[in-house]
Amino acid sequence: MLWNMAFRYLTGRKLRSVLTTLAVIFGVMVIFGMNILIPSMMQGFQANIMAASGLVDVNITHKTGGSFDPGIADQVKSVSGVSAVTVSLNRTVNLPADFYDHDPAKVDKITTLGLIGVDVNTAQSVRAYMLQSGRFLQADDRDAAIISQSLADNLGLKLGNTLPMPSTSGVVNLKIVGILPPHIQTSNEEVQVTLAQAQGMMDQAGKINAMDVNFNTSDVAQRDQIKQNIETMLGADYQIGSLPSGSEAFASIKAGQAVFNIFGFLALFMGGFIIFNTFRTIVAERRHDIGLLRAIGASRRTVVSVILIEGLLQGIIGTAIGMLLGYLIGAGALSGLSQMMSSFIHIQISGVIVSPGLVVLCIVAGVGVTVLAGLIPALQASRVTPMEALRPSAAEVENRRWLTPGFVIGAICLGGAFIMLFSKDLGIVLLGSLLFLTGLVLVSPALVRPIAILFGALFNVIFARQGIGQLAEGNLTRQPSRVAITASTTLIAMAIVVAAGTMTTSISGSITDLMHKTLGSDYLFVPPSIAIWSSDMGASQNFTTQLQGVDGVGDISAMRYASSKYQQVAVSVLGIDPVNYPKVSGFLFSEGGDSAYPQLTQGRTMIANDIFLASAGVKVGDTIHLSTMQGEKPYKIIASAADLLNMKVNTAYISQENLKTDFGVTEDIFIQLNLKPGADKNAADTKVRAVAANYPQFNLISGKAYYESLSGTIDAVFMGMYVLLAMLALPSLIAILNTLAIGVIERTREIGMLRAVGATRSQIYRLIVMEALLLASLGTAFGILGGLYLGYVTVRGLTMMMPVAYSFPLPGVIAAIVIGLLFGFIAAIIPARQAARLGIVQALRYE
Amino acid sequence: MSLIKVENLTKVYGKGATAVTALDHVNLSVAAGEFVAIMGPSGCGKSTLLHLLGGLDHATEGHVVINDASLDGLDDQKLTELRRRKIGFVFQFFNLIPVLTAAENVALPITLDGKGAKEARAKAEEWLKKVGLGDRMNARPDQLSGGQQQRVAVARALVAEPALILADEPTGNLDTRSSDDIAGLLRQVANEWGRSVVMVTHDPRIAAYADRIIFLKDGLVVDETRLSGSGDESTRAVKEKMETL
Repeated sequence: MLWNMAFRYLTGRKLRSVLTTLAVIFGVMVIFGMNILIPSMMQGFQANIMAASGLVDVNITHKTGGSFDPGIADQVKSVSGVSAVTVSLNRTVNLPADFYDHDPAKVDKITTLGLIGVDVNTAQSVRAYMLQSGRFLQADDRDAAIISQSLADNLGLKLGNTLPMPSTSGVVNLKIVGILPPHIQTSNEEVQVTLAQAQGMMDQAGKINAMDVNFNTSDVAQRDQIKQNIETMLGADYQIGSLPSGSEAFASIKAGQAVFNIFGFLALFMGGFIIFNTFRTIVAERRHDIGLLRAIGASRRTVVSVILIEGLLQGIIGTAIGMLLGYLIGAGALSGLSQMMSSFIHIQISGVIVSPGLVVLCIVAGVGVTVLAGLIPALQASRVTPMEALRPSAAEVENRRWLTPGFVIGAICLGGAFIMLFSKDLGIVLLGSLLFLTGLVLVSPALVRPIAILFGALFNVIFARQGIGQLAEGNLTRQPSRVAITASTTLIAMAIVVAAGTMTTSISGSITDLMHKTLGSDYLFVPPSIAIWSSDMGASQNFTTQLQGVDGVGDISAMRYASSKYQQVAVSVLGIDPVNYPKVSGFLFSEGGDSAYPQLTQGRTMIANDIFLASAGVKVGDTIHLSTMQGEKPYKIIASAADLLNMKVNTAYISQENLKTDFGVTEDIFIQLNLKPGADKNAADTKVRAVAANYPQFNLISGKAYYESLSGTIDAVFMGMYVLLAMLALPSLIAILNTLAIGVIERTREIGMLRAVGATRSQIYRLIVMEALLLASLGTAFGILGGLYLGYVTVRGLTMMMPVAYSFPLPGVIAAIVIGLLFGFIAAIIPARQAARLGIVQALRYE
Repeated sequence: MSLIKVENLTKVYGKGATAVTALDHVNLSVAAGEFVAIMGPSGCGKSTLLHLLGGLDHATEGHVVINDASLDGLDDQKLTELRRRKIGFVFQFFNLIPVLTAAENVALPITLDGKGAKEARAKAEEWLKKVGLGDRMNARPDQLSGGQQQRVAVARALVAEPALILADEPTGNLDTRSSDDIAGLLRQVANEWGRSVVMVTHDPRIAAYADRIIFLKDGLVVDETRLSGSGDESTRAVKEKMETL
């Protein structure tokens, strides 16, 4: 009987049931879809970060260095915790003299090349190949290769040209089908071909000599265990090189994983909100029926059971559909994203990953939250006396005191979060951001009325006169807690928008600036090793003099290097030309500014980077004694600043004059060059390259092109982020739509009465739109507050990885206001139309 | 002079075999300042007639003329204006907006018509005083008794100074004492304030407050009685009439 009644309720009020189930469906869909996306995105992200550092989790080779059977890869893949394995056949090919330039008079730029045969089916699941142009290798490629931009530049090759390579069966002409970014850090250029091609060229049919393996976790203990399991399985004949857990790439992966986990958590939070809010409304609405049941003899337990069974039915149906849709959306988005990412930022994403844990989580969240969300109001409803509930029902009006326990706890959370903001520990600040969002959610019911009055007055002036604004405001404030829960969904969505805005504004304000300053010159002459300058061979001033003599060449600036110590702290001392350096390159100052450049010529002065200041325990204004070839010499620190290449190494910048006097160094180790404005670029390029050919220790890179490709990559990464964030903002649209639609159903008779006493359809339409806009304004106002906090925390987290200064996210705030109001308006369209079209007589009869 | 003229008014719900005739060629008229009650068994078409008079629903056939203006062919906008300015409604379940105070509820029709807040408020207060709620202006519906809520509804119906008040079972949800109060108030609306009142009721005691009673059965006007005696006599007469239907 109870099941029957619950079923009848569901089918009797179809629209209402559909809306509730829709909330369950959406909540589960977001959780399921996001969590399908996240691990797959994570894997892509991991592969990308590692590839950018040239690393994988572990690399397996035979102890003898010899080749082995690829079947071993399947065994490795079967080890629990291994997410991807790819095999390859590599060897270094020594090139005969003058192999490429055919000119004995010229020094050979390329003397060796790494030939790498990759398994095209699996290579991209482990490493990301960030192609600048062309395509990745395909299984049926014959004589095809991908090479780096720097190798292409050095050999004068372009996409579609052929690259001759010696092989065991003579020279093979490989067609270049893809170009990778320039090799900036190593001089060891590589040529990637298909595994079959490499096996043919090396006469190693069916063999491989290396395996790259990635793990599915960043937990240190688990990683060690997986590595140990692989070792045990392979035995002593193989050696395993692994990524050190403390490495920078690893830190980036962990940070990325934390960000994705926060996304997942927020999705769960929003989904839960929607389900809870809808159910509470539905049960509140049915007080009338509950009273009737009680009047005819139903026990309290029966009342609770009917509602719970209904919740269970809706929970099961909603969860099943939600999981199905979530899977389809997740898989669809993944295929869309993977296309976009592989073409824009070259992140490769593997197939859909659904963990059993996720299925359990969704069932618990979907069915559990629905039943639980029904339980609390059902218990409340069961306490209602039959007579009370049988009174002619007007839509419920909540008479709440503002000083509730929720408000007090919320206020405490906000206070705690504010104090945590000043903590030096990022973990505490991160906890503070969650506390801040929770605090906002809890205090919001008390703030609904004042804020609604404020915005109501504003909207009233703009577009909703004739009492509509007042009515909308009244309708909204009659249920502050329902409104607050709906607004909370918008709050979280807009907080994400503002936080993302903060990140973008701050990063583009500092990193891009730094990149542009440091790498923005027309040409960069890069030594094999950046930042570890001591191993680089430089050039005498003859080189820059020759370059200066080239037609069209403008400013040139070189860096010179000496090593030094301050007390026990090692420091790289870089000599710059204070006049020319700012013209072709530049520092990002954290203290001081451009006036520091000329000051470098005045006595012994230096600009130090922040890392050095921190590790030496000194500050700007101090005079410190550096050990030099001439004994200890006093240098005054006049500013603190960083350039991109040296920002992670203790560095002091002094004038080249002082470097010569104190350290006896005149050798240039890194050179930047700008062409004159209006110079014939092609002619100058040929001549600059001709001069550079005599200095093969430098890799010649077009700086602007490199900067543009880097900033293009950053833009594309941001775009991917925005797609992900937009998906998170969508629930707020559904939540507003849901609340409005239920509000319209609930107030059908009121709307009928308004029409009967002379409200036009357009007045009713405006009433609902205004309610939506007020609802969206509330959420957006709270969201901006939350977003500012979250954004600040995000930027603080970023400063641990890169030099970023916090800037106020004005574009993010504007975006949140526009998106918030737009979502409010879009969400109102259907319910407003529905309300405006209500038949008056039917509406008046509605119960 | 007739305020309302109804000619051959017919309303059919549904089509073909399932068609139900709620009103069947009804003819009647109501004079200005007259209080008319409509009675009849359940499903006789009382409420349908009221809805058609108020322009809330469209007739299948026939005409309704109010104040010499025909409702035929009026679009939704014109009908809305008519309701707003010429007709006041009183419903069985009061239908007040729970978030608005008594004064705000009363002011609603003229506010919707574009009257300024001050003017609307003054007018609402004037009518609330007239219906005896001068001391409950700022109370919300949930702070008022059923009878008081219905008084607010009557004040709301009158605030736009309409010529016609349509009341659909206005006492159907009230106790005897409150019912008498409301019926007396509607009597006052007609007598003192000169409005025509058309009230649907199934209660002979309440119908006895009217000047005239029209009896409906199966969608047809089957009888009509003009009342002149005392309240008790009239009630008795109405009861007898109802029993014959």
